[in-house]
Amino acid sequence: MIDNGLLVQMLLGALLGLSVYLPLAAGQLSLATPAFYAVGGTLAALLSTRWSALGATASGGFPVPSLLLELVLGGLLAGLLALLVGRLVLRLQGIYLAIATIALVEIVRVAILNLPFTGGAVGIFAIPQPFATAAGYLLPALALLALAGWVCQRLEGMPLGRAMAAIRDDELAARCMGIDTTGAKLTAFVLSAVLAGSTGALAAHFLNTWNARQGSFDASITTLAFVILGGSRTWLGPVVGGLLLTALPELLRPVGDVRLVLFGLVILLGPVLAPQGLITPGLLERLGRWGEGGKP
Amino acid sequence: MSQPLLEVRDLSRRFGGLLALDRVSLAVQPGEIFGLIGPNGAGKTTLFNLISGVTPPSSGAVLWRGAAITGQQPHRLNRLGLARTFQNLRLFEGLSVLDNLLVPLQRHPRTSTAAGVLNSASHRRAERQRLDTAWQLLEELGLSALAERQAGTLAYGDRRRLEMARALATRPALLLLDEPAAGLNPAEKDQLCELIGALRQRHQLTVMIIEHHVPLLMRLCDRLAVLDFGVRIALGTPEEVRRDPQVIEAYLGTGTGGNAS
Repeated sequence: MIDNGLLVQMLLGALLGLSVYLPLAAGQLSLATPAFYAVGGTLAALLSTRWSALGATASGGFPVPSLLLELVLGGLLAGLLALLVGRLVLRLQGIYLAIATIALVEIVRVAILNLPFTGGAVGIFAIPQPFATAAGYLLPALALLALAGWVCQRLEGMPLGRAMAAIRDDELAARCMGIDTTGAKLTAFVLSAVLAGSTGALAAHFLNTWNARQGSFDASITTLAFVILGGSRTWLGPVVGGLLLTALPELLRPVGDVRLVLFGLVILLGPVLAPQGLITPGLLERLGRWGEGGKP
Repeated sequence: MSQPLLEVRDLSRRFGGLLALDRVSLAVQPGEIFGLIGPNGAGKTTLFNLISGVTPPSSGAVLWRGAAITGQQPHRLNRLGLARTFQNLRLFEGLSVLDNLLVPLQRHPRTSTAAGVLNSASHRRAERQRLDTAWQLLEELGLSALAERQAGTLAYGDRRRLEMARALATRPALLLLDEPAAGLNPAEKDQLCELIGALRQRHQLTVMIIEHHVPLLMRLCDRLAVLDFGVRIALGTPEEVRRDPQVIEAYLGTGTGGNAS
């Protein structure tokens, strides 16, 4: 039931979940991930279809090093945008920040829809393919997820990650303890954008076509659901949430239109039955102890 | 007299129609324990908030070793050597006791984020130093047995001491304690009194302390300032303050219950 194409989509979902998680780990509810995803994807789509130096072939092939370059550039451009926007919007707190970031998503969507070179409503199509089959995308998607997960794991044992956790608990106290909270929040926001931008660049090639609808308000809510269902206290939560919630609509396809109802039910019941999300630090601790105890 | 460590000059703060602090001036000398008393609502915590940068003053100046620091960000002031605790405890409740200390220790020593992500030798060395300092502080304040506990689950007295440990972890020259004895029983108050004296010795601290429990302050402090309705009505040694007619009136004459809590 799960083919390679769906697996790649699930990995992309996990990556976007992590992108929402990063600012949230510093207590900042940002819904801007789809905007940065759209920026990265649009850049990759434009570069690979317009810039022949990247080596797209007439038959629709594309060299892998050029793909990697696009991942870097997509991440950088999104990160740069986050740096500029973050200075302004991160002064807002809570729901106001969420609203401002939704506005950013809309601005980016409308810009991509109306810019003269992004293909309007149709978008950009026939994006060249670095891999012949969907299976080829598994490796770069997994590598990107491993890299992002590793950074998140490292954060927990270093000053920046602790500063983020402190801000989430009590921002004023963190400031009084010498933490540059503006800087830490901005760093988390930029990291989130870089991750979403690179994910977008990879997704553009995988999906073959790209248009303004890729980064919409719907996606803001879907990616937030990844984190809420999976849990926001450890980075594994959004990964699991992203994998599950991306797979679920496809797995439910056999039951027809009822699948949307079931999908909605999962999103509704998830927070009711597991308010901390599926993956919590306590669960990981129990698993760890169980793992140690199980060793011969 | 030597140059004061901290000086406030004509400091005022207005909240709408309320003048919470009215041209308060005082100077804290290096090494002293300086008490701040006054009835509820006298503006003591407001003064702490202005000094620590949490609230900007409406007018007046704050000087640190003679240089103006008025209106600076709290984290900058903390890095200058000014740390505080909070009247209504603001621990990082979701973090472990140890992590509550590792947060402020992130600057002692400083390392780059890149070094942290790559887990470089310098980062690992810095982490060991931070852990050592954190354990020392836990030891000093009698919290080592609780290191792995989540801060939000601690007993009240332990939280108070953890807040002090957390402030000390930022290596302050001046420690602002906002009602550290509130909610403690008499025996605990005595212990706290000794602890503050010991900490001052070991960390070469200057201490500014808000407290309602007057006997404790009389015993602990080198000098005291008395606030009433935002105005500094007295300043001097405990003996001088005790005999000041204005202080007696503020505490006894108006019956606002200075000995409460």
